[in-house]
Amino acid sequence: MSMRPGGELATRPLHFIWIADCSGSMAVDGKIQSLNTAIKEAIPNMQDVADENPNAQVLVRAVRFSDGAQWHVSQPTDIADFKWDDLDAGGVTAMGKALSIVADQLKIPPMDERALPPVLVLISDGQPTDDFAGGLQSLMNEPWGRKAVRIAIAIGEDADQEVLKKFIANPELRPLQANNPESLIKYIRWVSTAVLKSASSPASQSAAASTLGLNVPIPALPDATGPSADDVW
Amino acid sequence: MKERRRWQAAGASVRGAAHERSGMPNQDAIHWIGNGSSLVLAVADGHGSVRYPRSHVGARIAVETATQLVHEFVLGQTDAENLSLVKRAAEEWLPRALARSWRDGVEEHVAANPLSEDELNALGRDDAELIRAYGATIVTAAVSERFVLYLQLGDGETLTVSDEGVVSKPLTKDDRLFGNETTSLCTSNAWSDFRVSFQPITNERPALILLATDGYPNSFRDEVGFLKVGTDILETIRAEGLGHVKDNLEVWLSDSTHAGSGDDVTLGILCSV
Repeated sequence: MSMRPGGELATRPLHFIWIADCSGSMAVDGKIQSLNTAIKEAIPNMQDVADENPNAQVLVRAVRFSDGAQWHVSQPTDIADFKWDDLDAGGVTAMGKALSIVADQLKIPPMDERALPPVLVLISDGQPTDDFAGGLQSLMNEPWGRKAVRIAIAIGEDADQEVLKKFIANPELRPLQANNPESLIKYIRWVSTAVLKSASSPASQSAAASTLGLNVPIPALPDATGPSADDVW
Repeated sequence: MKERRRWQAAGASVRGAAHERSGMPNQDAIHWIGNGSSLVLAVADGHGSVRYPRSHVGARIAVETATQLVHEFVLGQTDAENLSLVKRAAEEWLPRALARSWRDGVEEHVAANPLSEDELNALGRDDAELIRAYGATIVTAAVSERFVLYLQLGDGETLTVSDEGVVSKPLTKDDRLFGNETTSLCTSNAWSDFRVSFQPITNERPALILLATDGYPNSFRDEVGFLKVGTDILETIRAEGLGHVKDNLEVWLSDSTHAGSGDDVTLGILCSV
């Protein structure tokens, strides 16, 4: 038996970060409970996607923002071991601070150049009350911030679509509008399965073709639902 | 006078673990031509996603056209005493010629094998984008009695290993090669994205030159682990011969993709041990 040349082999890390609005308005009409339920229900789906691609190590974290922003799950946690502790709501909407602390963690190091593009999912029902532009700038200053797959979910009609579009920074993608618990669950499932699966593919592409930011092919969006009698947000 | 050691080539390419699961072909290619005094080796990596439906063919065309063209270039340097002229031609003429010959090869292939409806749909039914179907990188190295030449467009790695086992990178880093993005032969100004290094052989020449597609370095936990490939292969060749490396290379690369990146993995070796 011959010794394989080189050092230790390792699958490529894929960092997946939930960035969740926990402002006071999320306590209204059960939004925060619905978000907790949707993320909990998504975990088995994410584990299935990870099992299908053993060459990507899916590592999950979460940030919560209200009067400030903190890591809700600070350690990159293998999806196989990931558990969700419920978020609660109260306070204002420090979205800019949330993006800043994510940006800090996307620096190289601690991030690795050989990682797969991270997936950032921003979920909000309102408008930032702090320096959103500064937070977004700090995120986009990081190579992994620019190359991340950035998805935004707007909860209810009061969510600031323009802010979420700036976060996505891609004219081919729009914020996903969730006006009831069912649509929120559908969108959370989409990002945690279809988007995660696409991001974990090792296919490369010409940098010239990704000027719009679509460095990872984004799968077809789930069916958009227009206003319905079920809308509660 | 110390006798020059002759150059030998070896290499292998294995389909990535992810491509085995999805049923996609190996998108990498490898090819070498020449003899003991003049050898040219090339590896290429087709982009692989649905937007590049013929990138495995593009990679094959890349290694075939690059080795042929660079070999003719090396053999054509009748005034090899004037290395500054050779260097200038290598830096200014070869990238344009390589990009053009790849494009010619692709146009010839697509003329003989028109794109299917599915392939056209993947390209957005844009005729101007036909070349994109074949998008690939190219990494090549040429060795002669007087000089060593490295040319690289896109991701992948070029390493040299000295007789003392020191591993180096002869090409400057391209910061655009980040995440899953790469420069590509399929862009209109591809020639300008080549990185070129020309090294006259004076007293020393590399013991080994290694060319790899990005699936190989991405299979190691860190760069130190990847660079160790250079010293380990040098030691293995000295202890057991290049034949031993040839016999085992495919298994080593297969182990790497399965426990590592999942991407196609290709390694080419030029050896003067």
